[in-house]
Amino acid sequence: MKLSNDANKALGTFLRQYKISTEDVNDLEEVISMMPEDRKQIYKNVESNPVGDLFRYSVHIRIQHLLTFTTFLLLAFTGLPIHYNDAFWAVPFNDVLGGVEVTRVIHRTLATWMVLSMGYHLFTVIGGTLQKITQGKFDIGRSILPVLKDARDFMADMSYHAGQNENRPEMDKFMYKQKIHYFAAAFGNIVMVVSGSSFIFPEFWNSVLPTDYASHFQEMMRLSHPHEALLALLVIAFWHWYNVHLAPGRFPMQWTFLTGKLTREHQIEEHFLEYLRCLASLPKERAYLREVLVSKGLVSASKETDARQNFLFDEHRQWAKEQAEQGVGQESMAEDTQS
Amino acid sequence: MSKIRLLVCAIFIALSLPSISQAFVDDEACLMCHKYPKMGRVDDDGFQKAYYVIPEIFSKTVHRNVPCRDCHYYIKQLPHRPVTEGVRCDRECHSIENPSTGKPFSHKPIYDVFKTSVHGREKAAEGLDKDKPYCITCHTNPLYNEEEEAPPKAITDRCVVCHEDEKFAFKWYNHTSRRIREVKRDTQEIVKLCSRCHADQEIIARHKADADATGREIGEKYTIAAESYQNSFHGKVAKYGNKQVANCLNCHASPDNYYMSVHELLPSRDPASPVNENNRVKTCRQCHKTADASYAMIDPHPTHDKELNKFNYYAEIIYGIVGDVALAVLVGLSLFETIGRKRDGVSWVLRNGTTWRGRSRRRRK
Repeated sequence: MKLSNDANKALGTFLRQYKISTEDVNDLEEVISMMPEDRKQIYKNVESNPVGDLFRYSVHIRIQHLLTFTTFLLLAFTGLPIHYNDAFWAVPFNDVLGGVEVTRVIHRTLATWMVLSMGYHLFTVIGGTLQKITQGKFDIGRSILPVLKDARDFMADMSYHAGQNENRPEMDKFMYKQKIHYFAAAFGNIVMVVSGSSFIFPEFWNSVLPTDYASHFQEMMRLSHPHEALLALLVIAFWHWYNVHLAPGRFPMQWTFLTGKLTREHQIEEHFLEYLRCLASLPKERAYLREVLVSKGLVSASKETDARQNFLFDEHRQWAKEQAEQGVGQESMAEDTQS
Repeated sequence: MSKIRLLVCAIFIALSLPSISQAFVDDEACLMCHKYPKMGRVDDDGFQKAYYVIPEIFSKTVHRNVPCRDCHYYIKQLPHRPVTEGVRCDRECHSIENPSTGKPFSHKPIYDVFKTSVHGREKAAEGLDKDKPYCITCHTNPLYNEEEEAPPKAITDRCVVCHEDEKFAFKWYNHTSRRIREVKRDTQEIVKLCSRCHADQEIIARHKADADATGREIGEKYTIAAESYQNSFHGKVAKYGNKQVANCLNCHASPDNYYMSVHELLPSRDPASPVNENNRVKTCRQCHKTADASYAMIDPHPTHDKELNKFNYYAEIIYGIVGDVALAVLVGLSLFETIGRKRDGVSWVLRNGTTWRGRSRRRRK
């Protein structure tokens, strides 16, 4: 396979940042040159474990997801009966809990947990990013931050689904859908916290706002809280649950939120750049892929030509040589590369 | 048989007399006629009028010590002529002395205050003023008050040591303790009372039409006062029984002298009104201790009516559009993706190590 510019850039950065050893790089170069140009042939022929093969999410992210979805759902189920308190279904619901006054207390208690969960997430994400930056291992393309490539990926993916492109775009660890979803959820959480706190602490919010805008702010918040909640619930129900539970290939569910691992075929199909990093850091994965390509007769016919065209390996070897001359040691940090 | 009937009647009357005589002193002999239960008539407007007075019940009302003709002053002879005018609350009660002034007791001072309020009206009001509340609209003087049912024995036992008449002790206790205890209407009752008129669409329409026709100034939120309160935080919390939340009078009556102020409610445009823009901060601070000018700008009668709040009106439309579009796009995207991937041969379930078991039906370029 001849690597694309995006793949060259992502993999080259990774090899340098994680100081992948020359032996591993040589092996990686060979495996990549064996890969067929049509990536579909790879993910359609590999074997995947339903509960996941390749590491993706740390235990912190999994706990945060657990906290977020439990508090979110319970907040929605207590918040909607408060907002639509006259509805036929809301009255018995509130009565079961002890009346709408009790529902309000439960709602606010859950909201506190959600805010704590947000704080936990921000702490780990910002802390983790700062740690990577200081260690020289930060790559914006591998992060959740949106980049221009996401727009290109979106267009290319639409073309693929419309039958115009041969392959799905080579997407990174987080594809455009996940980034939209993450920032929509982040925006929604901020809206809910700001609007919710403006109900509990209206004096504070109005003391920091100009008098002319104070009333409009409260009106916006009164509109935002139920609208955003309803929108978030519908997005979760129709989009997120579709993507992780109902979409073809994902039914009945992806186990990632529990195991932290992604299936091999999913990784190759939707996160190819991250799969290249897995190949670089996991010798076992390279050995497995080599075996699949050979046993199923998928080895690229233009293997030799492709190998010569993937300049990044030569560049990396050159860079590693210079580093060695300057006295900077190389180390393979396979177990650390996927965190 | 007739002797037996006569005997029964005689026994009934004999048993009734002590109770009537103990109820209150009927020096004016009004009960001579008004003791009969079926006394009443249907007036010209078709309303049933009951003229029956139950002495035992009247003796428990706040007016029990007021002779009938102190209020029904137009009765000059018995039997009297048909009554053409009603009781007015600003009359002096010549027989009852105000212990603080030594003068005949009268509601006239508070009635004069009431007349200056936005609700002020005469008893015999006509036209739009007839829609306004009169004293008895609010002062319904319920006959039964749970708090007054049984005065604490420990206290009344002490009173009767000197005040031999036990009933006097009970009444005096109830009169004073009622004013010490908080027995005014609760939040829900006040909202319900105000809503009798302020949620009556016919009354609202009459006054709005008159204001439009004559150019008379009318409150900005007059037409939606009750409805918008119900949609506010105060209203929603009040609806579910919270007693501390602000009701109509907590904001519209002055906190400086609540009991006087509820009789002199003023429109918000009046500088003396607690909800006038210059007084709102003070009014809000009754409950919201750190409220400032910005806080006082929060609308306690929220509405998304186009005429009354354009900002809210358009904001709600925009929110609706954004929500609908976002949902439609995401559902569309999911369907599009499903069609694309199904066409490429993916199965729904990962089984035997793969989901790619189907044959691709893609028509490639």
